[in-house]
Amino acid sequence: MTDLIKINALYFNRGDRAIFSDVALNVPKGSIVAIMGPSGTGKTTLLQLIGGQLRPDRGEILVAGECVHTLNRSALYRLRRKIGMLFQSGGLFTHLTVFENVAFPLREHTQLSESMIRSIVLLKLQMVGLRGARDLMPAELSGGMSRRVALARAIALDPELVMYDEPFSGQDPISMGVLVRLIRTLNDALGLTTVIVSHDVPETLSIADYVYVLSGGKIEGQGTPDALMHNPPAGVNQFLQGLPDGPVPFDYPAVDILKDLTGEEAGHYA
Amino acid sequence: MTSQRAIETGVGLFLLAAMTALLVLAFRVSGLTGFIQQEGYQISAAFDDIGQLKVRSAVRIDGVNIGEVTDIHLDPVSFRALVTMRINATVRQLPDDSSAAILTSGLLGDNYIAITPMYSQSFLKPGDRIRETHSAMILEKLIGQFLFNVQSSRKNSTQGKSP
Amino acid sequence: MLNRVGDLGRSGLEWVRELGRAGLLLYRMLFCIPNIRKHGLQLISQQVFAEGVLSLSIIVVSGLFIGMVLALQGHHTLAKFGASMELGPLVALSVLRELGPVVTAILFAGRAGTALAAEIGLMQATAQISSMEMMAVDPVRRILAPRLWGGFISLPLLTLIFNVTAIYGAWLVGVQWLGFDSGTFWSNMQSSVDFHADVVNGIIKSIVFGFVVTMIAVYQGYFARPTSAGIANATTRTIVYSSLAVLGLDFVLTAMMIGGW
Repeated sequence: MTDLIKINALYFNRGDRAIFSDVALNVPKGSIVAIMGPSGTGKTTLLQLIGGQLRPDRGEILVAGECVHTLNRSALYRLRRKIGMLFQSGGLFTHLTVFENVAFPLREHTQLSESMIRSIVLLKLQMVGLRGARDLMPAELSGGMSRRVALARAIALDPELVMYDEPFSGQDPISMGVLVRLIRTLNDALGLTTVIVSHDVPETLSIADYVYVLSGGKIEGQGTPDALMHNPPAGVNQFLQGLPDGPVPFDYPAVDILKDLTGEEAGHYA
Repeated sequence: MTSQRAIETGVGLFLLAAMTALLVLAFRVSGLTGFIQQEGYQISAAFDDIGQLKVRSAVRIDGVNIGEVTDIHLDPVSFRALVTMRINATVRQLPDDSSAAILTSGLLGDNYIAITPMYSQSFLKPGDRIRETHSAMILEKLIGQFLFNVQSSRKNSTQGKSP
Repeated sequence: MLNRVGDLGRSGLEWVRELGRAGLLLYRMLFCIPNIRKHGLQLISQQVFAEGVLSLSIIVVSGLFIGMVLALQGHHTLAKFGASMELGPLVALSVLRELGPVVTAILFAGRAGTALAAEIGLMQATAQISSMEMMAVDPVRRILAPRLWGGFISLPLLTLIFNVTAIYGAWLVGVQWLGFDSGTFWSNMQSSVDFHADVVNGIIKSIVFGFVVTMIAVYQGYFARPTSAGIANATTRTIVYSSLAVLGLDFVLTAMMIGGW
């Protein structure tokens, strides 16, 4: 199967912190690939690099055969029309209704008639189960609902690739279940390729075809969900099981506790 | 979200209000009457000293505005200041022996050109030059003249007293 | 001690960097005119409405009161010199040359400038701008440029309305209340006010201010840190920098205009 995304030897620094050192991953077409890891490892940064919002310091990122960071503005924008992205905070336009939000990319990038746009918008909303909510304003939606609307907007132009940034965080069990089902169904029904960035282990592993675990700027482990659960590499196990202590320590670095309680500094409080 | 039509109406009214304000400022507040270039003809005059006269300074007869100064420059041959002015077309028959003087409006006001019409039967044509001119009064010269007069009258009176 | 010098140098460089970022943003906004796109004019008119029309109430009320106060204070002092008939010129010249452009600009910065900064900052914080970028719509063209043009167009118009309202307020106090002759009031004013030197120069000032104030607001909003503290900072910085810039530029422009450009 061909790869829709190919990342080779990626290096990216922010200030003096190395976010990524020599990261390589592939996303085959039509599959759901999950990128997981503890908070702050730069998972969102990876999505921004794939989408061309950031430039890598070294290495290459190929999306649909094109090297993203060498594209000029108009070529980058043409590529982005094939990508749908769902941000953690939804990113719905607060001054437009649900209908107008989903219609936005259609109005901007196509010359379709109003009736066609209406049909497409209603179909997309139907796919996420929110066709009846079309005249509400984003402020009137619950968190889960606004994510679903953002999803409908992300697939409005029928992209080839959809990227989800922490889709399950902060959701109640029902919304989570809805989203999980939606992501899998849409991927299969529309022939999409999906990249999910998340740290919700059970939900993500239930739908992913392949998983990469990032930690400390490198790929600590990769494989199918089954392989990872049964045979996890060292650092990965703590993450997948949710263990409080392991390679990522429980205690923030500090001096010995005895010294703290009885030493010089404690003397000041006597 | 106010409808697009309401927005456009609002903006239109706003623009209208601002344009009206501009017109009020132009005509009521600043007394702009000569905005459209009035029809007129050009005449010139040479002065020894123009004082504070500027381009667009007023040209008046008996205190009534009849035109404005359009150009001031030094005549390189006679070394006198050559002032060109535009006279309104309504003032058609200006005698050609009229005189032009540079006066000050009020005590500390701007300078303007005052034309005093005389009695000739032939009139100024466009491009003509006013021959009789009185330059602006320069304070230093006045003081100098005053001091000189005081000096000489003192000299005369002391001379007269000596036997 | 050396650390302090280092810090100073660093903040100086940081300031230069910010200026550079603002310049680049300005370039992108100016040379990607939304007019070219299908609904550019619609976007701009929406912004003129939001920034200009909705600021009218504060501008008109302020203008009225400033005119009335000027007339009252002016009369109080002029009467001592027997120069009460100069009230008209006093008010007209003060308002047209200085108070009109400057006060309108500062009020605009407070009302529309902060609203802009907060709105754009909030859009950044809620990933609306990033979403737009990922949907291949340039947020600079779609969101920022119309707001810049909206402010640039609105402020001179607001200044004109402020000027007229202030002079009308002065007329109310001078003629209706203090009993001056209306005819003398207007004719003295007309003979002292020159359209080109006073009215037009005032409008030129307001055009410059409109550009600067809106630019500062848009910049602060766009580069605000995407947290609630960041947005609050952006709005306070907008009004502070705008006010300082307006007053500073007013001095520079007045010097140029008096020198006769």
